[in-house]
Amino acid sequence: MAAAPILELRGVSKSFGGLQVIDGLDLHVNENEIVSVIGPNGAGKTTLFNLITGVYAPDAGDILLDGESLVGLPPHQITRRGVARTFQTLRLFLNMTVKENVMAAAYGHTKAGVWQSMLRTPAARREERMIRELAEEKLRFFGQRLMGYRWDQPAYSLSYANRRRLEIARAMATNPRVLLLDEPAAGMNPKETHEITELIGQLRTEGGYTILVIEHDMHVVEGISDRVVALDHGVKIAEGSFEAVATDDRVVEAYLGTKAAATK
Amino acid sequence: MDFFVQQLVNGLTLGSVYALIALGYSMVYGILKLLNFAHGDVYMMGAFAGYGVLIALGGPYDLTLPVVAVIALMFLAAMLASGALGVVIERFAYRPLRNAPRIAPLISALGVAFFLQSSALLLFGADFRSYDTYEYVDLAQGIHVGPLNISVVRLLVIGTSFALMIALTLLVSRTRLGKAMRATAFDREAAAMQGIDVDRVIMATFFIGSVLAGAAGVMVGLVFYKVYFLMGFLAGLKGFTAAVVGGIGSIPGAMLGGLAIGFGEAFITGYVSSTFQDFFVFAILIVILLVRPSGLLGRADIQKV
Amino acid sequence: MDEHRKEPTPPQPPDTTREGGPRIGVDEWVARSGERITRRAGWTAPAAEAFERVPPWARLALVVALAACVPFVSDSEYVVRVAVNTVLFGLLALGLNVVVGYAGLLDLGYVAFYGFGAYAYAILSSNQFDLHWPTELTIPVVVVASALLGLLLGLPSRRLLGDYLAIVTLFFAQIFVVLTTNADRINVPFVDGPVDFTGGPNGIAGVDPMSFFGIELSRVEHYLWFSLVVFTVVIVGLHLLNESRTGRAWRALREDPLAAELMSMPVNRLKLLAFMFGAAVAGLTGTIFASVQLGVFPQNFDLPLLITLYAMVILGGAGSLPGVVLGAAVITISLELLRDPGNARLLFYGAIVLGLLAFMRPWTKLAVVAAGTVVFGFVAYFVVDAVHPAWTAGSIDGGGLGGLLDGWVIHPESSVRLGNGAFVLLVAAVIALSQLKGRWRLALTIPTLYLAAVVWENRLVFEPSVTRILLLGALLIMLMNARPQGLMGTSRVEIV
Repeated sequence: MAAAPILELRGVSKSFGGLQVIDGLDLHVNENEIVSVIGPNGAGKTTLFNLITGVYAPDAGDILLDGESLVGLPPHQITRRGVARTFQTLRLFLNMTVKENVMAAAYGHTKAGVWQSMLRTPAARREERMIRELAEEKLRFFGQRLMGYRWDQPAYSLSYANRRRLEIARAMATNPRVLLLDEPAAGMNPKETHEITELIGQLRTEGGYTILVIEHDMHVVEGISDRVVALDHGVKIAEGSFEAVATDDRVVEAYLGTKAAATK
Repeated sequence: MDFFVQQLVNGLTLGSVYALIALGYSMVYGILKLLNFAHGDVYMMGAFAGYGVLIALGGPYDLTLPVVAVIALMFLAAMLASGALGVVIERFAYRPLRNAPRIAPLISALGVAFFLQSSALLLFGADFRSYDTYEYVDLAQGIHVGPLNISVVRLLVIGTSFALMIALTLLVSRTRLGKAMRATAFDREAAAMQGIDVDRVIMATFFIGSVLAGAAGVMVGLVFYKVYFLMGFLAGLKGFTAAVVGGIGSIPGAMLGGLAIGFGEAFITGYVSSTFQDFFVFAILIVILLVRPSGLLGRADIQKV
Repeated sequence: MDEHRKEPTPPQPPDTTREGGPRIGVDEWVARSGERITRRAGWTAPAAEAFERVPPWARLALVVALAACVPFVSDSEYVVRVAVNTVLFGLLALGLNVVVGYAGLLDLGYVAFYGFGAYAYAILSSNQFDLHWPTELTIPVVVVASALLGLLLGLPSRRLLGDYLAIVTLFFAQIFVVLTTNADRINVPFVDGPVDFTGGPNGIAGVDPMSFFGIELSRVEHYLWFSLVVFTVVIVGLHLLNESRTGRAWRALREDPLAAELMSMPVNRLKLLAFMFGAAVAGLTGTIFASVQLGVFPQNFDLPLLITLYAMVILGGAGSLPGVVLGAAVITISLELLRDPGNARLLFYGAIVLGLLAFMRPWTKLAVVAAGTVVFGFVAYFVVDAVHPAWTAGSIDGGGLGGLLDGWVIHPESSVRLGNGAFVLLVAAVIALSQLKGRWRLALTIPTLYLAAVVWENRLVFEPSVTRILLLGALLIMLMNARPQGLMGTSRVEIV
């Protein structure tokens, strides 16, 4: 376990105007680990994802993937290096079909240029087939739900839970090493939540991904996490196993207020 | 030296006019995130409305009322006509598209702009109409101190412009409507939930912006005499540039941007050539958008991901 | 340990193995039910369905073949020229479709690339600088140069949001016009006297016709066939591109640029690529235009052209290749018809009748409106004739239809002032109509239709160049309100 972490944040800070959203954050994720990030709303969790994926640049600190800095790279390059994400508020390509959504994300690791595409060279056709098979493979991961006739339906025709699954499939199509899942179980009923929990585990074992999850639903966090990191006001207040973090005074205080901690 | 001061005066005059047009763009963009292409043509219609009043009152050769009254009526008519036109445009072409994809109101605005332009061509013809201000105003009057020569008309324009801008600033910062406008610009949904009648606020914004544009139209007529159906297009582009330079969505920004563009254009016309004034303004737009897209006084738009 | 603390238990999924319980896959039948029920309504249905059964390449071949036969069907050179114009507009619409329909970028400076291509060809193949390059060389050079120009314009624009991009590109189009009109007296270093680059307001005349490997395109028909070949190549190429990784990336960019960027698509580079493609197609079309017209002038590439082009793309449906071509055809032909008062009349009244047929249902309502308008017209004419005979003294020429209208539409001798007044009234009436509902709306429709006829006969029919812009502007507004996806686009879902 002495291998260097695959994803590492060192002293990362970010402020917007006068508001310090992330403050001197150190975080690391080891290969094939599932780490959950928890914290009350406004703790800076989605900003954390935005910093890692390059949507914002940190004011200070460094973000390393496999030891190489990601800071300053445009987001599409960070994705190509191996970091993919889903969105808290779902950002699918609604008017494209289910399959096209996933195929589109394969752009970064394919190279058929404009001329090859227009002339339908053998290399281009081979690559197109590969992309299609890749998309089908990723969609198959979700069982029957995103299979068959669904492939050619526009994404806006999917139910909410299926949209969330599609977004994960799309992220998988970029062939990442690290998956950042932003509240994957938000808005799901208990059955769907259970499925997502199992799915995240499968992503690690069958897919081989390293996963960083933002989640509010403690059932999910408990069910999946190797390690939990708790944030509040942009600062790490606890880290460790689920039991350790869930019972940590500062965490309880952040979620429930000081009195609750006192009555424990 | 004389020449320099003259360009300064020109710049101030032009700048006040651009500022008024820029304000309309900025306000509408701040509230609706919409670029109202038709704004320039509202300005054009205001200029024609003023001209219509001038003719109706016997001008430019034989005024039936004292000059001051005529000019006041011209302003009034232009401002009211433009304001009404702005409100109608909003109601008809933009309101139904409030929740449509972003490109829809832009295309609609484009359609309105061309419709207005061609309506003006149809109704008023292609000829230039002239305010011929020198016929009823003694342009020799004014301030003539050393190298400084400002005719009374330019003084009027600059003065009225600043008065209007001050009035607007007071409106936005001191009145309930102003507060409602600021709130709606900040977050339309939240404002609606606070009990603000968003439709009314938007209508008021269009009205005010168009009123200012109408005033600008009469001013241009008085100072430069010529009004014609195409005048809205270029003025609109430059007014928009001024709004962007100052920071779109910001009222003081629009004023500052207007003055900046006005001064710049005056000096380029005076010292280089008038053919290149359009290039100059275009170049400024590109530079600002590249270097400081939020403009001189604007805030960077924070997009929540 | 606190007895109030419960052990958290994971939620249990409901049992799906019971008989009669929900089964995965069952909803497929339900989901597919929409496919079975969809059948087009209306009298155009059998035609539309037959059309859809023909495979796309056959449809293209059919349309191109029909177009190529025009010179054999008609002796008039004018008709063939209109056909060439239609194809050229179709090409422009295809190029604009890449920028607006695929990548979702509002490029209002598009006509500048068209003009650039035309002027570049003109400069390289005319007496302007006494250059007469061979066409086989000129065309590729101009196309590449246009693409580079697109790159140049795209570079500062790539970080711009849609609205800003629109204004910047619009400004660029204006700059282009100013440049071409004034570039006849440019002082170039090391050269004596001012250089005339573009011929100024008079443009460049005497442009060489195209010739390939010795065969010169000397007659209009040749240009028709040549442009049809180019058109076919471009539309096939664009279709193939759309179905590829680049096309998917463009569409993703149009949907959600941020999500696209985060899904490994280099959004800025893709925008530039779209710009360059659009510019290249426009430049290519420009070369054909310059050589078929044998000259170029600044007013060929002004703003009215831009709005015409946008109307074509929007009417057809941005994003749909066959759609924009259809839009180009419909609008080009309509605009040609507008030139001649007799044809224009047919077009105008025909469009009104079509519009009523399409939007007024049930037919009882339609009958009421139609009859009401006719009656209203006669009554109005009669009343005005009695009260103010000077107002009906004029006459409407134009044979058949004109004669019919003569006793129906109010028409004084000098009709300008009446026409203008009626125009203002008409605009007010239409705006009022949009705010009314139910019986009031129905009632107001009748005088509005009559007013439209009055305005048409008294003013618009005599001013085709103004009328076309008026109608195009109105068309854009109406399209956005009623059918933003145009004729053949698919209605889109947007995140607001």
